[in-house]
Amino acid sequence: MHRRSLSIVTLLLIALSVPVSASQFVDQPFDQVARESAYVVRGTVVNTWSAWDDAHEVIYTFATVRVHRYFGEATGPDTLVVREVGGVVEGYAMEAIGFPMVRQGEDVVLFLSRWDNGAEYRIHAFNQGKYLVRNRGGVEVLVSDPVTQGSDRLDRDRFDVRANGVDDAPGLTIDEFAAMVDDARAGGRVGHDLHRQ
Amino acid sequence: MKKQTILALGITSIILIASTEPVMAYTLLSPRRRWSSTPVTVRVYNVGNSTISDGSGGVSATVSAIRVWGMISSSSTSSAAVRGSAPATIMLNTNGGLCTGGCLAATLTGYYVSQAGDDRIYDADVYTNTAHQFYSSGESGCSAEYDINGIMAHEVGHVIGIGHSSVAGATMYPSVSACNTANRTLASDDFAARDNLY
Repeated sequence: MHRRSLSIVTLLLIALSVPVSASQFVDQPFDQVARESAYVVRGTVVNTWSAWDDAHEVIYTFATVRVHRYFGEATGPDTLVVREVGGVVEGYAMEAIGFPMVRQGEDVVLFLSRWDNGAEYRIHAFNQGKYLVRNRGGVEVLVSDPVTQGSDRLDRDRFDVRANGVDDAPGLTIDEFAAMVDDARAGGRVGHDLHRQ
Repeated sequence: MKKQTILALGITSIILIASTEPVMAYTLLSPRRRWSSTPVTVRVYNVGNSTISDGSGGVSATVSAIRVWGMISSSSTSSAAVRGSAPATIMLNTNGGLCTGGCLAATLTGYYVSQAGDDRIYDADVYTNTAHQFYSSGESGCSAEYDINGIMAHEVGHVIGIGHSSVAGATMYPSVSACNTANRTLASDDFAARDNLY
């Protein structure tokens, strides 16, 4: 119980330690985000590409995520395709301000929900549904991603996580996170306002 | 005058200056981008939000509210937003397929990436999550609803190229709560961000 309380406090610290960036969102409780997600995965973004939709109205960025672990009871394929609004095609950039980004090479934990077409997934609850995995002294911890659309360039070539304070932010261990997801998806109530966008 | 007196006066002056100057903590969208000319034209689609009972679904209130920036030419329009094409358009009646769940309103902006670091905004459209409850300055009373005037003043800040501010009380402060109308009025930090760009 004491350990669980510490986890909640840690998540709260994670939430409050990152620069906030968003259009305008209402924070959702962790347990709600966990329960509503089709999958909760830990994986690596192996490649990304951007393209207009068929109507040439919206640019989407697609990301192939190699899944290393499924949290909770739901499991799926070894690779998933994540699609997020925003991207750059032939010099034209489209951004949904404050929405999450996916960058090639990232080691991430994602809450995912299915797009209407059923073939691809989107990050659930916007940036509340994304964590970066960091190795601190041999221990893997999860930290919120401080960079959202509009707060940095969409091409990630020059992205420097140290400059964004990620490596100094408080983190939650993978095991602590997994226990919280299990509890939430089993119907438990983990806490409120744990992650601020 | 003694050196100690001069030193004390100097320190006092610095403290006074520091305490009277407003703390500027705005951010601009990155990469920095702005519209080519001002005033920036923003249209409000004339099909309003069904949760707002002010007679126009919040359209008239929004047209007026976004002029708070002092550089917006606003009016209602019968033309829905066309992504990738100006003018900037606010849609109160649809989430645009992107502003769902905990999203209240979202700005989708487009610009051409330049190498000179002086990008030009080509289009920006705002979408509203109709699953939430809103109210406007044209209504009296509020019950767990979000102020459309303030919400859209904030989003139009994004439309013109401004990011979030860490100054509580600024319209571009990222946190918003129900029945709070503070965002209707710009703070000095918001004006500073605008003046940095235009």
